[in-house]
Amino acid sequence: MFRRQNRGGGPDLWWLLSNHTIGWGPCPNSFRVVILISTLTRNGLIFRSLLFAWRTNLAIVLGVAVSAAVIGGALIVGDSVRASLRQMTLDRLGNVDGIVTGPRFFRQELAAKSDAAPAIVMVAGVQRKTDTVTRRAGQVNVYGIEAAGWAMLLGQREQLPQGPAVVINQSLADALNAAVGQEITIWIELPSAVPRDTLLGKRDNDSQEVTVTVGNILPDGPGAARFGLNPTQQLPMNAFVALDTLQDALNLAEIKPTRRDPVGAVARINSLLMGDKEATQQPQAIAEQRTERIKSQSTLADLNLRIVHDTSLNVLVVESEQMILETRFADAAKAAAEKLGVPSSPVMVYLANWVRHPTDPNAYSMYSTVAGLDVLALQTPFGPFEFVGGEPAQLAEGEVIINEFLAEDLKAKVGDSIRYGYHIVGSQGELPEEERSTVVRGIVRMTGPAVDKNLTPHVKGVTDVDSLSDWDQPFPMKLDEVTPRDDEYWDSYRATPKMFFRLQDAQAMWRSRYGSLTSVRIAIPEGQTFESTRDEVAKFILDHINPADVGLAVQPVKAIGLQAANGATDFTGLFIGFSFFLILAAMILVGLLFRLAIEQRVRQLGLLGAIGWSPQQIRRHMLSEGAVLVAIGSVLGGMAAVLYAQGMIYGLTTWWIGAIGTKFLRVDVQPLAVMSGVLAAAVTSFGSIAWGLRQLRTISLRERLVGVTEVDVTHATTSKAGRRAAISGGFAAMLILASGLGLMPAQEAFSGFSWAVVSFFIAGILFLASGLWAFSAWLQIGKQSGVRGHGLAGIVRLGGRNAARRKQRSVLTTGLIASATFVVAAVAAGHKNPAREAPDKASGNGGFTLVAESSSPILYDLNTAEGRSKVNLEARTPEQAAALAAMKVFPFRVKPGEDASCLNLFQTRAPTILGVPEAMIERGGFKFVGGGSEMWKKLHGGNLFTAGTSADDKEVPVLGDMNTLMFNLKKGVGSKLAYPAEDATFQSWLTVQGMFDGAVFQGVLLMSEENFLKLFPERKGFQYFLVEVPPEHATAAAEMLETELAEYGFDTEPVAERLARFLAVQNTYLSTFQSLGGLGLLLGTFGLATVMLRNVLERQPELALLRAVGYRSGQIAGLILSETALLLCWGLITGTVAALLSMGPHLVSTGADVPWISGAGLLIAIAVTGLLSAAYAVRTALAVPIVSTLRGE
Amino acid sequence: MTAAAALIIRGLTKTYPTPDGELRILEGVNLELPRGSAIAIIGPSGAGKSTLLYMLGALDTPTQGTITLLGEDPQGMNPHAMNPTEQAAFRNWHVGFVFQDHHLLPQCSVLENVLIPTLAGAGVTAEMETRARHLLDRVGLSSRLDHLPAKLSGGERQRVAVCRALIHQPALLLADEPTGNLDRASAEAVGTLLLELQREQNTILICVTHSLELANRFPRKFELRDGHLNEV
Repeated sequence: MFRRQNRGGGPDLWWLLSNHTIGWGPCPNSFRVVILISTLTRNGLIFRSLLFAWRTNLAIVLGVAVSAAVIGGALIVGDSVRASLRQMTLDRLGNVDGIVTGPRFFRQELAAKSDAAPAIVMVAGVQRKTDTVTRRAGQVNVYGIEAAGWAMLLGQREQLPQGPAVVINQSLADALNAAVGQEITIWIELPSAVPRDTLLGKRDNDSQEVTVTVGNILPDGPGAARFGLNPTQQLPMNAFVALDTLQDALNLAEIKPTRRDPVGAVARINSLLMGDKEATQQPQAIAEQRTERIKSQSTLADLNLRIVHDTSLNVLVVESEQMILETRFADAAKAAAEKLGVPSSPVMVYLANWVRHPTDPNAYSMYSTVAGLDVLALQTPFGPFEFVGGEPAQLAEGEVIINEFLAEDLKAKVGDSIRYGYHIVGSQGELPEEERSTVVRGIVRMTGPAVDKNLTPHVKGVTDVDSLSDWDQPFPMKLDEVTPRDDEYWDSYRATPKMFFRLQDAQAMWRSRYGSLTSVRIAIPEGQTFESTRDEVAKFILDHINPADVGLAVQPVKAIGLQAANGATDFTGLFIGFSFFLILAAMILVGLLFRLAIEQRVRQLGLLGAIGWSPQQIRRHMLSEGAVLVAIGSVLGGMAAVLYAQGMIYGLTTWWIGAIGTKFLRVDVQPLAVMSGVLAAAVTSFGSIAWGLRQLRTISLRERLVGVTEVDVTHATTSKAGRRAAISGGFAAMLILASGLGLMPAQEAFSGFSWAVVSFFIAGILFLASGLWAFSAWLQIGKQSGVRGHGLAGIVRLGGRNAARRKQRSVLTTGLIASATFVVAAVAAGHKNPAREAPDKASGNGGFTLVAESSSPILYDLNTAEGRSKVNLEARTPEQAAALAAMKVFPFRVKPGEDASCLNLFQTRAPTILGVPEAMIERGGFKFVGGGSEMWKKLHGGNLFTAGTSADDKEVPVLGDMNTLMFNLKKGVGSKLAYPAEDATFQSWLTVQGMFDGAVFQGVLLMSEENFLKLFPERKGFQYFLVEVPPEHATAAAEMLETELAEYGFDTEPVAERLARFLAVQNTYLSTFQSLGGLGLLLGTFGLATVMLRNVLERQPELALLRAVGYRSGQIAGLILSETALLLCWGLITGTVAALLSMGPHLVSTGADVPWISGAGLLIAIAVTGLLSAAYAVRTALAVPIVSTLRGE
Repeated sequence: MTAAAALIIRGLTKTYPTPDGELRILEGVNLELPRGSAIAIIGPSGAGKSTLLYMLGALDTPTQGTITLLGEDPQGMNPHAMNPTEQAAFRNWHVGFVFQDHHLLPQCSVLENVLIPTLAGAGVTAEMETRARHLLDRVGLSSRLDHLPAKLSGGERQRVAVCRALIHQPALLLADEPTGNLDRASAEAVGTLLLELQREQNTILICVTHSLELANRFPRKFELRDGHLNEV
């Protein structure tokens, strides 16, 4: 049965509120809404009540909607960031699913056999010179690529780099200000067969200058322009060159065998690009299958190994192109010999600069090869050696066997003491000479195995030249001291060792982190040929080498990227955190408004009780009304969540772009996120409503019937509130005192926060609670005091008394204001000043002015004249000379990894590691969380060198920046981070010993150089530099370093600028937080305005009375405004003081940059806005008709 | 309801704790009323008239004493021995309230306001709706069934409140200053209506009033003074 209440005219919209049905239909004549309601039912009554009080209910619905929009929006933002990062990964990698890349160059042929695209991937410095200016870009990714690889990167065929043309992306073009057709120069490190930081390595930077013409510029869209191997949302600088062009430039191109060079060379690459759509399903399994395939197709040449046939002894020699045989290969070779059942002979050779008789200055020999070889134990086919005057019984430690040729040069005989000198390789490329004495224990004849040239591995430019003077000198040689006898020896025996130490003695003197042998000789089994044995040994070695250990494992780079796209920064959590107080404000507002609605209808509720509705029925009825409001608000909020998320994403890509550094975020709406937001908001809002209703329980039916909405205050309740205020305040004071006295544990509490920081935050929250309890108690006391005074003071006092009339309402409103103020003030106090430019040893800049990185490692000490001359660093102007004189450089070794700074949104697995030199540890500096410069000393230690420590228990102490550790790596002091050693032979645990506070070291972890070299032996030289130079010389120093070290891709940046970039992220997040806190404050102001309006409406008779007895309009306004001001100011002061307490540790830090003036201005603005919000209430109060109100009409 | 229904009040006492000591409002009030009685209770303000009324209607609890409403249950019903849900049901079925303020739900029509008590039980039935219409017809509001309370005069609203109180034909009709807010004519009309309906429905009517004019129309009058209830 429907009843129609038609007020005339045809309805445009029909709302049919039947028992369970809502429907609508068009109607032509007007816009009137007509309500049709079935016979009265409980549900009908609910709808009727909701519609009747629609204004209040609409406000509640909006409050719930805000909550749902904020929660749902935060979830959508989280989803959107993850989806965008996933999309960025797909855009970054194109069709590349797997990749093999590393420092080792292997045969290009392996690409064809592995169904992969060949490529060279290197980091270089690029510059573009004009007549007037030189523009440089460091850390540029240079790719040598062919058509197959280009297609995988989603590069367009017509843009494929060819010949001397280079295709660059827009980021690089911007950095160089380059255009199509212009020439640019790429400085790229020439691959060196022999490691540059070993004796025969080329220490001078062997950078190749490759001049190319810009053929195309790729816009920063998906595809090759974004291609990069590390997950980051920052756009890389990319340069693509034709593979053969790069191979030619780097001496990696194929060389056909000739008569002069019968071996020739195969074309080499260092990367394989692989695409396989199936890899998205089981990336790890596919990667493992591909790795197996590569392994099966590999040859020793891919490991830079070779097996040489020593025809004089008819043995095979396993040696390395890099001179030193890596331990894993040496072990595999010895194991192969064991398997074959034949003897093997490990050898280590080195170069003695000179050997001389101690008393005869003319008895010497220059540049003699010396060997570590257990001569006396050698059996057929490696020995025995023939001795002049008989074989010695034994060779003791420090004794030597020399050959007859050397003995003649030195005029030495058995038992004589001789001296020899050799270079040792210093940590910064220096080659100090070490001198030793030894005793000749035997002299071998120049025959048989003793004159085996194959004891020394083939080193191009050294062992294959015709004379000593033709050596491709790895260090300055004293060729004028070379004697004819030395040349004669070279002519006859080349690099055949002249001296033989015990192997262990030689290894003790000359082992490097690359290994401790130069070759392993293996006998050929009887009945077998060299070829068959070679094949067996090669197969054995290849079978026993883990491709991951030698950089030939396929990394499922797309799967890793997609996994990393889950994000280091949980944006859902971040935005819910940011919006926490906004949500709280919305919840308080919902509770407050619902409570107001209940108070408005308290007589009705009393009546329902009086006519027989049970308490449960009344509660259920009211909760049902609340549920309907919550449902409507949540659904509306769910829709608004999309808009909110769009707003946030727009903000992140425009106003707050500093926080994420990319504009490639897009909104991704997942129904689950919206539903979750709706549900979460519904649950919390419903809880808030239930809480509001709960207050009604204390009011009896009789009291409800006469409109009582709050229980009478008793002395007990006043004492209770006061006691709670005292307890909360007392706890806050105790926490602050305990932190101040250093009684808090030094360890991390959680998520990288120290106990001191947590204590202060809790103290702030407790103070907030204490302030509100105190307000509650004060309001109750105020009820008992009389009205006195006159004029404004009297009015204000009466206003205060009015605030006490609806105590809970007043406290809730104040709490709303205080919570929002807490956020706004805490965020303002959290700002840091990025513009601290003066070097200060105890600050984030550590006293340094410049920070630099180089694309190629620099081996030499930039602080010494010798080191500077090695890298051709010299001053060209007087300003540069002054800068050079005042400059001190602290070099760090670098293990490249992922950027773990707040500039990277992706999840970080293996951050970049810096090896800290001892000089830096001694120097100290920088600001630490909870410590000083002594924290650097904690880098000493760890158990990498402790015998007996199991492989997976290796611990290495590290330091890191607080933001890197807490927000990206989610670690704190004492936390451990698993980190694989580069050779993957073991996994170490990086233990965080200390945290820098706002230091330039964001995004990296620091360990001692000693531990670094142990963990990453293949990393040579230095690529990260901190420069101490007075600020007035900084520009000249930067210009000089970048110009003179251009071939290293040396790129400097003022430390202040880098810090500013990091802090810009933090400060931008704070701005985001502040904006959302401002929205919370807006809700607080709305709540305040609502409460004041409600108060005025309730007090209409008394306001009429006041006016009747002579109160002027201004006094009435003052009465209302003073009540508003009381609530507002108490909230503002409580919130502000609590926020400042919470931020105590930050405020005392040097980097704090509290905007006191703008902060105070903000609070004043809030106060003024709050007072203005009461304007409507004042207007309503002044509009109260006196006579009719007093007559109760 | 049976004809034997009656109200028995024994030793009803009500005290309130105050900072200055115990405030004794009612002191051992005793009263027995047969079915069909109509009494008026007068007394000065603060004497406890309304308190007595609310205790009879189980809206307030006595400090001491018992209230027994004899009805279908031969043992009688003591609402203060019931739990809150049972008390609600007791009020719903056996007590009707008329307050000084009409307490009509502004969102509901006249007819619906009369039917509101039924929602606490089985809901609106055809029988109840017929009864509500009959009651409203009886008080002269049959033409205003669909009107909202805002459209009614004070006297009309109070008449609706009387109908609402009688919708379940309660054994006990309690009126607290039912004419307090009305003009003289309306007050007289409402008073008349109350007594007529009480007689028609054979219910016990207890009316608390300051109006001697209204009180004098009741067969029996009681005065509450110093905590004691005496017939005058």
